[in-house]
Amino acid sequence: MKDILSKTIDVAVEKYGAEYAEVRAQRLVKTMLTLEEERVEAAKQGIENGAALRVLVNGAWGFASVGASDAESLTSAISDACKMAKAVASRLRKPIKLVEADTVEDKVSITPRKDPAEIPIEDKINMTLTMSKVILGYDRRIKSCTVNYLDLTGTNYFMNNEGTYIKQDKLYVWSRLLATAVEQGVFTFSREEIGSTAGHEVFDIETPEIVGERVAKRAVEQLKAKPLKGGTFPAVLGPNVVGVFVHEAFGHLAEADLTLSGSVLLDKLGKKIASNVVTFYDDGSIEGAFGSFKYDDEGVPTRKTLLVKDGVVVGLMHNRETAQKFNAELTGNARAEDFRFEPIIRMRNTFMEPKDHSFEELVEDMKFGYYFKSFRGGQANLDGTFQVGIQEAYKIVNGEVGAPIRNASISGNTLETLLKVDAVGKDFELWPGRCGKGQTAFICDGGPHIRVREVLVGGSA
Amino acid sequence: MAALKQEEMVGLADKAVNLAQRKGADEAEAYVYQGLTTGVSIERGQINRSSRIIDRGLGVRVIVNKATGFSYTNILESQAAIEETVVKALNFAKASKQDQNWQGLPTKKAFASVEGTYDNRILELDSEDLVKIAATMLDAAEKMDSRVFPIEGGVGASYLCKAIANSNGVEGFDHGTIFECSLETIAKGEGEVTPVCFEFNIERKYDINPEWVGKEAARLAVTALKAKRTETKSINILFTQFALQQLLQYTLINAVKADYVQRNQSAFKDKIGEKVASEIVTIYDDGLFNGGIRTWKFDGEGVPRQKTPIIEKGVLRSFIYDNYTAKKEGKESTGNASRAGYLSTPNVEATNFHIMPTRKSPEELISGLKEGLLVYYLQGAHSSNPASGEFSVVATPAWKIENGEIAYATKGAMLAGNIFQVLTNISELANNDRKIGELVAPWVLVENVKVIGK
Repeated sequence: MKDILSKTIDVAVEKYGAEYAEVRAQRLVKTMLTLEEERVEAAKQGIENGAALRVLVNGAWGFASVGASDAESLTSAISDACKMAKAVASRLRKPIKLVEADTVEDKVSITPRKDPAEIPIEDKINMTLTMSKVILGYDRRIKSCTVNYLDLTGTNYFMNNEGTYIKQDKLYVWSRLLATAVEQGVFTFSREEIGSTAGHEVFDIETPEIVGERVAKRAVEQLKAKPLKGGTFPAVLGPNVVGVFVHEAFGHLAEADLTLSGSVLLDKLGKKIASNVVTFYDDGSIEGAFGSFKYDDEGVPTRKTLLVKDGVVVGLMHNRETAQKFNAELTGNARAEDFRFEPIIRMRNTFMEPKDHSFEELVEDMKFGYYFKSFRGGQANLDGTFQVGIQEAYKIVNGEVGAPIRNASISGNTLETLLKVDAVGKDFELWPGRCGKGQTAFICDGGPHIRVREVLVGGSA
Repeated sequence: MAALKQEEMVGLADKAVNLAQRKGADEAEAYVYQGLTTGVSIERGQINRSSRIIDRGLGVRVIVNKATGFSYTNILESQAAIEETVVKALNFAKASKQDQNWQGLPTKKAFASVEGTYDNRILELDSEDLVKIAATMLDAAEKMDSRVFPIEGGVGASYLCKAIANSNGVEGFDHGTIFECSLETIAKGEGEVTPVCFEFNIERKYDINPEWVGKEAARLAVTALKAKRTETKSINILFTQFALQQLLQYTLINAVKADYVQRNQSAFKDKIGEKVASEIVTIYDDGLFNGGIRTWKFDGEGVPRQKTPIIEKGVLRSFIYDNYTAKKEGKESTGNASRAGYLSTPNVEATNFHIMPTRKSPEELISGLKEGLLVYYLQGAHSSNPASGEFSVVATPAWKIENGEIAYATKGAMLAGNIFQVLTNISELANNDRKIGELVAPWVLVENVKVIGK
């Protein structure tokens, strides 16, 4: 493989005068299951073999993706990429430059305690069936459930013209459980995800019984939840909601490509944007976490990146192009879903640092507010408008968590809301998830419980 | 890597089906997909890259004793890899569980005839041509107003082909083209950045207008400046197709899928023949729509695409089915099986979900409103409750309508409600049909939607 990659890069540099060239070849095996109630829709497995070739010629990018890894296909694809870059360079205003990166030669092997590739498909089917049975058996009002399962194993070969060559194993296991409950015309919906880069052993902790019950219980308890009145209220956010808030409302704005595109953080570097108790990290080095890896898809080592320290923006997430523009250190955030995609800036495991409050302390002084415990989805805009849909929430009345409410969402402006965070809990949870930015990345997000003085709450009552 | 020809693709599908049958499959189906896409991208005000993606592969579904196995590969040059894929699908079927509701793969039927789905000119475009188109779009945006910043966009030309074969004698090939350009912009005012504004064109033919896209993306951003907060109250909302598509994709469209209905996840269960929407609402799932983004001769299982009435004059008429869900009810598939290329088994999806337009122009709708909100884009629609249809989303940006005119942009307005209530509150449909994803629709006026503001 090394020889083929090396010859491919030579073509770009010698024949087309590329100032930068990289090849990322992959061979991936995916095993997938979908269960609808207790029906196994199909047991599925696929092989994907391909390469992504990226070049900088005359300051413009050319990219080619091809479902092959033989010398002839790669040579032809990288030639295409170089010609395309030249076509673009004719219109270029500012040539693209990359920050210098250390060259690396490394081999990264993964040694999972339970390698998904070694586990028979029958066992995976039985495990997901157990999940389904636990959910359906929890309560007669549970009317349907869907269980998805994925494991992905494979090898990534990365080489660039600067002398970096990395062979890196890949491993992901993931499962998602959905349940719906129905009673007297009220439909509720509940979702859970499990994800790990460690191995199948994640299901020894998040067992089918534990996760199945968690998702089923929520769907059933939401049946008695009432729609809420919209407006501005104080709130306590659970770690799961804090995670998606940090990821969506803040994280995307701190992806340096989006910052440059005009996110509200562009003129805020070094400035205070949040209350003193707010500290955020994006960390690719947490062992086994769903967003972790050793090298990113530009061959840059991952690291723990401090984004906000005591309310001040101190860092952004970079690739080699944006690090050059900001004159910043590399953070290792360039990720590509697979060989069909170019690496772009993505989050890894993004979280808020815990502080000193107990849950009781966060709630006790609140006369009326809401406790948002678990999210359904979230989205942010460059101007800082965020929305987080909530799948589990409760009223807080006179310092105590009370009746459940349903179909709420919270919104507001990220910067205004961060200044209103007035207390941060001492607990901590990290949740796996998937993030879409034209391509999918596996990530985690999390944090402690926090209290926000006020947030806009959308409800239909 | 040379592109596969029609005969090669069909031959490969046939070969895989035969091989699976010889090796003991009760039934077998093979789907071969090939996609070639050339694109150029705009990032932060400049055209900065071009890409070419060639993706192709084979997916094999086999049934053994009413249990299904599926396997795919993108290594098509090697006989061994194809054989390995077939064997893997068989082994997985044997390892899987029997499904008592399985009643066989589709049988052979004449494919539909479709129009406006292929244009040879799109195949001939290279990076240089696309750079020119992107430049036209970018220039048009930048000339509009100096406060406009085009942040992202691009031009793409795709050629897609599909071949299918199954053990019931189904065999087919179809190909088509897609041509698109899009631009995202923001505008920067004094101490103010607008939310992202967006315009695009997507067509099956060489028939896009990059200049219009550029101008319109810029115009939207400029008019989104000086946004104000709105009050909390129920008002009339004029939804553009962007907002409508986001809202319907996770709610109404799911509610008419047969699998959702059969699995108790749809509020439309047992409602066929009942009035579910305002009388002016008629919706077809039109798999044959001329030039439709999802128009093909056959679906992901080789069943002919068709036009299915969903709601006629407010009355729920039919759900959409793939082969499996149809047979479960003793019905015929409506040709709504969809696949993610060669990578997935089929599932029920809308084709061109067509909300029929009426006569009024969008301008007439605006001028008829004493007070209202024109909602272009939504944030957070994917967090709607798919079963109940309840949504709680942010309109970014939206424009306040006062006394028949667009008065000012709003910020942070939340909309909350239930999609099924929205359907019954539709009071007007405009005449400006356009295609966005699976949706073909005009602007839609909905009365009495809850807006949560300051």
